[in-house]
Amino acid sequence: MLKLLRIDLLKLANYKAFWVLNGLYALLIVGIPAGVIEFLKWLKSAGAEFDGFDPMKIPILHFPDIWQNITYVYTFLKVFLAIIIVISISNEFTYKTVRQNIIDGMSRLDFLKSKLLTILMVSMGSAVLVFLTGLITGALYTPDMAFADMFSEIEFVFAYFLDLFAFLTFSFLLTVILKRSALTVFILLIYRPVEWIIIINLPTAIEGIGQYFPLQAMSNMIEVPFPKYIFQEINDDVNTTMVGVVIAWICLFVYAIYAKLKSSDL
Amino acid sequence: METVLSIQNLTKRYGRLTAVNNLTLNVEKGSVFGILGPNGSGKTTTLGILLDVINKTSGDFTWFGAPPTKAVRKRIGAILETPIFYPYLSAAKNLEIVAEIKDAPKANIDPVLEKVELLDRRNDKFRTYSLGMKQRLSIASALICDPEVMILDEPTNGLDPQGIAEIRTLIQQIASEGKTIILASHLLDEVQKVCSHFCVLKKGTLLHSGSVDEIGKGPVTVEVDAVGEQIESVLKSWDKAIDVKLEDGYYQVKLTDGCTAQDLNVHLFDQGLIATHLLTQKKSLEKQFLELLAESENA
Repeated sequence: MLKLLRIDLLKLANYKAFWVLNGLYALLIVGIPAGVIEFLKWLKSAGAEFDGFDPMKIPILHFPDIWQNITYVYTFLKVFLAIIIVISISNEFTYKTVRQNIIDGMSRLDFLKSKLLTILMVSMGSAVLVFLTGLITGALYTPDMAFADMFSEIEFVFAYFLDLFAFLTFSFLLTVILKRSALTVFILLIYRPVEWIIIINLPTAIEGIGQYFPLQAMSNMIEVPFPKYIFQEINDDVNTTMVGVVIAWICLFVYAIYAKLKSSDL
Repeated sequence: METVLSIQNLTKRYGRLTAVNNLTLNVEKGSVFGILGPNGSGKTTTLGILLDVINKTSGDFTWFGAPPTKAVRKRIGAILETPIFYPYLSAAKNLEIVAEIKDAPKANIDPVLEKVELLDRRNDKFRTYSLGMKQRLSIASALICDPEVMILDEPTNGLDPQGIAEIRTLIQQIASEGKTIILASHLLDEVQKVCSHFCVLKKGTLLHSGSVDEIGKGPVTVEVDAVGEQIESVLKSWDKAIDVKLEDGYYQVKLTDGCTAQDLNVHLFDQGLIATHLLTQKKSLEKQFLELLAESENA
């Protein structure tokens, strides 16, 4: 297993675009919470009227709310990482290196594993970064630290990881089917709106299945956190049903990638 | 003789097109086996199936007497069609990936680069290489695991005469080390110069399989001319001449099996004719190949 990851990392080691784009993504992860606070400060200093309400008092970046708030925002950035994955995998098809890898002694399953391991590594690395960013930002802005609160909603980081891993696996599947990077990125970008249109147009009788569609299920894991500051509603748990649905989708994607690789002439 | 590769009734269909048709073939250890055939005759498809990048429709094959697995492919050094590498990586990095896949020691990288004379370019990116260098690098990559079998598909494609000569020397040198080489080519001259055995494919069907040494055997054709009007009738009435044709001012006489130019000369002399030109046509693979193709057209 490690050997397969090492092979894939050797391919990427000198691939500048991969590291530059990953670096930019990391910068966004770290930069957004700081940006939010600066924005709120700026609103305040600009004299924005909140009916006498101090925007700095909204506990957006306070433990434990921070976990749901930042992971929710970060899930919108996953397309960025997906594009990197699509480009690096479609390269294998355009350069025909996947063919040479097999000739040299990889099995198709080995190829799948080596790419999936890289995706896993990227997803885990990203989750660790999110965790550290959350930890530091939370520590900086939470007015009175209580240890119990710090990690009470930490499962959102896991949900973020799962969301990212599922989406990148989905991108891997699209790349294996479509092979061309530009086309794959295009389909990837329009997929979410298309899925959404299908969901809202479902006949009433089967309306309920809409929430199980792949990208809908992914986004259902972490619900929109911000209305709770207005409506005082409590929805600060990861949706465990959807976690199960997303894991099922991941298995299905991986199987579909395997079936596609197995049956195609490379 | 130990059999390295054994193919039984291998078939590959793309829809209605049959790319490989019921192919049965054996390759012995230590031979340099040429697969000949016009473009589109199924050479690369066959090799692709043998290397698991193309799925067969039916039939079977074994490598070293065992069913094909990825472990078997690690003992084979192969290139199909064009050299394939990561263009943004250096030669050394590319070979490191190959060595990692093949479980070959990294210490092999520099010696194989040395062998194909690319050692001084080892840190240059693959995309900066010329076509000849790319072909040489792919041979280096095939050699990295010290393979028992090498598969080369059109290794001299697109090279200039000097490059062709270089690759040919390299192949002969590798063959002299006792490795089995399978060489697909449409360049007959190339196959005749380096191969010990060959087969001919056409539209996926095997037309012929045999040793290169056998080519010279069988009936010979002698080019002849002599002083005197009656030469044509003398030649045509001779019972040992199968066929007499006038081509480019000389008579092309195909003799019965076992007869030589000497017999022809004696016959002419007996008939009172003196030969002014006598040349045994050296039978080339090219001629044999074209004959085989022509026979298959008529069949």
